[in-house]
Amino acid sequence: MSLYDIIFYLFAAITILSGFIVVTSKNIVYSAFSLLFTFFGVAGIYVLLGADFIAIVQILVYVGGILILLLFGVMLTNKITNVDIRTGTIHVLPGAVAVGVLMGLLLSAMVWTEWKTQPSETPVTTTVTLGRLLITDYILIFELLGILLLIALIGAASIARREQE
Amino acid sequence: MELSNLSHSLNLLLPELTLSIALLVLVLFDLIFHHDKKIISYVALIGLLATGFFVINQFSLSGFAFSTGNESYRNFGMITIDSFGSFFKLIVIVASVIIVFFSLSSDEIKKTSERIGEYYALIFGMILGMLFMISATDLILIYLSVELLSLSSYVLAGFTKLRERNSEASLKYMIYGSVSSGLMLFGISLVYGMTGTTNLYMINSLIQIPHLNLFTFSFAMILIFAGIGYKISSAPFHFWTPDVYEGAPITITAFLSVASKAAGFALLIRFVKITFVSYIDTSGFWQLIHVFDWKTLIVVISIFTMTLGNFSALWQDNLKRMLAYSSIAHAGYIMLGLAVLSNQGLTAMLIYFAVYLLMNLGAFLVVMLIANKINSEEIDDYDGLGYSSPFLAASLAIFLISLTGLPPTAGFIGKLYLFVALVDANMIGLAVVALLNTVVSLYYYVRVLKHMYLTKPETAIPEIKTSKPNTILVLVLLIPIFIFGIYFTPLVDLAKGCITILGL
Amino acid sequence: MNITEIIVVSLIKIVLVIVMILVAVIFLVYFERRISAWIQYRIGPNRVGWKGILQTTADVMKLLLKEDIVPSASNKTLHTLAPIIALFVAFSTYAVIPFGPDVTIFGYQVKLMVADVNIGVLYVLALTSLGVYGITFAGYSSGSKYSLLGGIRSSAQMISYEVSMGFSVAGVLLLSESLNPQKIVLAQSGWMWNAILQPIGFITFVVSAFAETNRLPFDLPEAEPELVGGYHTEYSSMKFAGFFLAEYANMIIASAMITTLYLGGWQIPYIDKLGLGVTLTTLLQVGAFFLKVIFLLFFFIWVRWSIPRFRYDQLMSLGWKVMFPLSIINIIWVACLIMIFNL
Repeated sequence: MSLYDIIFYLFAAITILSGFIVVTSKNIVYSAFSLLFTFFGVAGIYVLLGADFIAIVQILVYVGGILILLLFGVMLTNKITNVDIRTGTIHVLPGAVAVGVLMGLLLSAMVWTEWKTQPSETPVTTTVTLGRLLITDYILIFELLGILLLIALIGAASIARREQE
Repeated sequence: MELSNLSHSLNLLLPELTLSIALLVLVLFDLIFHHDKKIISYVALIGLLATGFFVINQFSLSGFAFSTGNESYRNFGMITIDSFGSFFKLIVIVASVIIVFFSLSSDEIKKTSERIGEYYALIFGMILGMLFMISATDLILIYLSVELLSLSSYVLAGFTKLRERNSEASLKYMIYGSVSSGLMLFGISLVYGMTGTTNLYMINSLIQIPHLNLFTFSFAMILIFAGIGYKISSAPFHFWTPDVYEGAPITITAFLSVASKAAGFALLIRFVKITFVSYIDTSGFWQLIHVFDWKTLIVVISIFTMTLGNFSALWQDNLKRMLAYSSIAHAGYIMLGLAVLSNQGLTAMLIYFAVYLLMNLGAFLVVMLIANKINSEEIDDYDGLGYSSPFLAASLAIFLISLTGLPPTAGFIGKLYLFVALVDANMIGLAVVALLNTVVSLYYYVRVLKHMYLTKPETAIPEIKTSKPNTILVLVLLIPIFIFGIYFTPLVDLAKGCITILGL
Repeated sequence: MNITEIIVVSLIKIVLVIVMILVAVIFLVYFERRISAWIQYRIGPNRVGWKGILQTTADVMKLLLKEDIVPSASNKTLHTLAPIIALFVAFSTYAVIPFGPDVTIFGYQVKLMVADVNIGVLYVLALTSLGVYGITFAGYSSGSKYSLLGGIRSSAQMISYEVSMGFSVAGVLLLSESLNPQKIVLAQSGWMWNAILQPIGFITFVVSAFAETNRLPFDLPEAEPELVGGYHTEYSSMKFAGFFLAEYANMIIASAMITTLYLGGWQIPYIDKLGLGVTLTTLLQVGAFFLKVIFLLFFFIWVRWSIPRFRYDQLMSLGWKVMFPLSIINIIWVACLIMIFNL
């Protein structure tokens, strides 16, 4: 096992363990907190794969933006308006069976498939190439994402606004 | 991608561009004219008409836009413009125009008049998502457009926030939607892992290699189908449909039941055809690459879908809910056209869609007009409607008869072509199942007629008067149903001219 | 250099930087008190040591010896973790700040920064966004109204201003065509400092930096009249010292970032024309960097004791309705500059 492998398994373990805590924890703040580590683990794996830009953006967006908003929402509802947020689990057995089957399928797909691989190169900085791709080949996707976000923004504002009776 | 290539691509994308600009103009006008928002509906209408103009202009055009990658496969793009796509785009645009008229006369929407800008912006987001779904040939774009459509519809389903079932509809829609789009994304990633590309044309050439792991590939296909099946509300991904259709504002319900479904079907057809067809034989049958048994999957799902839809509709007392189940059943019928896997089947599907657009929107329109007055969609409140407001009742009766598929309405023509295609493909058993299903559906459609004409109301109900524009709107939907029921050659010719899916 | 040498050199650099920051913070606190006294026509601390210069050291000793009180209503783990996160974020940000040009010491080519990261600017932004967690957790875990309100205010404020901060940085990136801090510094040769080329971006960045560091006029998270001590109301002893240290360390990092991105970093315009030796030039340049940072720190203190605090809604509307559009205008402005002058 090379150093690379060890680091990979370390990050993978962090991701999975914290992910497990996210779904099992009774306290939603703890869930959010361990989600922090999940994101970090994923970012670490990105770094290992040579995707430095994605890794940083992962932290910037998910950890710095989304998760903090989530915590924000929890804190506002939980502590200030005194709503007791419970994270309960129902239908454990069917859920476990469904998830088990899905996991079995995915695992067997993972193991038995001949994946298309490419010879790995020494990781170079990806930012410039990524930027260039985004505004040449994938310009349509990029622009459409802009519209998607605009729609999401309008939708969020529409949901959040209080309706006058 | 070079600049010359870009301008060529943009030329092919004129309808989508127009729509995007109209969306931005809508948002701006919403900010500028925030005192009097009447103008916004008209802006939306103008934007849609302009888009429609460009769509019609495109009927003769075909080509690839936004090619990715290097020289070796430059000729395939993320977007394919062809007559098949233009046909579905036209369906979507026509439905959208009608929905704008719906919204102008809907009481539910009138109550939220100060948010009308957001309403139309979100609708435009939906339309844009649909247009891209119809012509996308790249898995990334497919996912993105599905997501654009879904996001806007989640919000619109709960747009009138004052009633509880509205928010319930929105939340249910979102939860089911995110699960199915997650599954779809998983499928896409599996396909990408096996082929190394997201372009459908490339996948078509790459899956012909002998070493493909069929198990993983089939698994991926089922996952992708889950995403699309959710959009066309086929069983077993239909759970959201009744609740969402019942809870959402009726304009949105009508829109979802027609346009969203059309876009989903267009996506499914294009996906199957481009990715899996190896060649088309002389009699118009598609010969698939032997990697995934689409035929069995679609046959099983379509039988399930229509049977489930029809039998569940039998017990419904709420008209909106009944129409929701009926629309599930119709998705099953339309899927039969795909199960045939032939050009003839495709033609039948196109005809069915054109007809379905008219009759389903018509039924929803009448239900809405009635609900505007009596504030209810329960079937018991329709008692004696045939005598108190004969025009609306008669139109509803005709729309429902057409939905059943009885002559001389256009619904009959739609079903006829579907069954003929089935019989021609030697799938007689399937045709019989569909026919039996039609008989079942007759029961719940006629039940409404019975309430309107044969049941005496407990209290006398006043006449429901419709304003002139609404009468015209009903007639606009009603008259073609008769015309196409008798003189259907132009419709069939149009459909026959629109089965070119570029790529083979 | 082989791997051992790299590790040794990096360790030396890390230790140096940490010591530097700790010393700097001690003096910064002293200077803040002296300058505020000077601004308010008072004397300020003048008992401990010469002119009171050991005052901060004494304060730290006092904090060290105090009892560490953890409120019974608090969430113990998060309560302890919060100041650690705050400190971790504050210190690790320094890794990518270049103090000077590459130098050769004992035959080794040494970069005057801990890590030469290709996407250093993004790294700083990402870590800054992590800084919110320390404050949020402190607010949540203390189990007190004041703390919670402070934490919530702070997270909302930091998220809002992060947006305009990111957009202002985008203007810098457009000009330097790199996310590497050293390259950004090198791109500002001669008079072409970003502060001169894109004054709007400079202003929005500085204002956002003030908001991100929770300094006056944006120190709502710890507004004394309303919230007692804000998020650190329930903290005492070393944990409080941790927050205190992190706040001042953040001030230094903000100044260092402003210097790097907008004030030409360690560059002195046209110094190569003077024909000084390499060693002297390098020393002067490193000196210039610290001088710029010190000036900015003075500016921070100056503003704090001159301008009153914003109201919360004013703060938000300033962030979203003024700073955000301005930073976008700045991007357009920079794009036009590039198009016209082919920079």
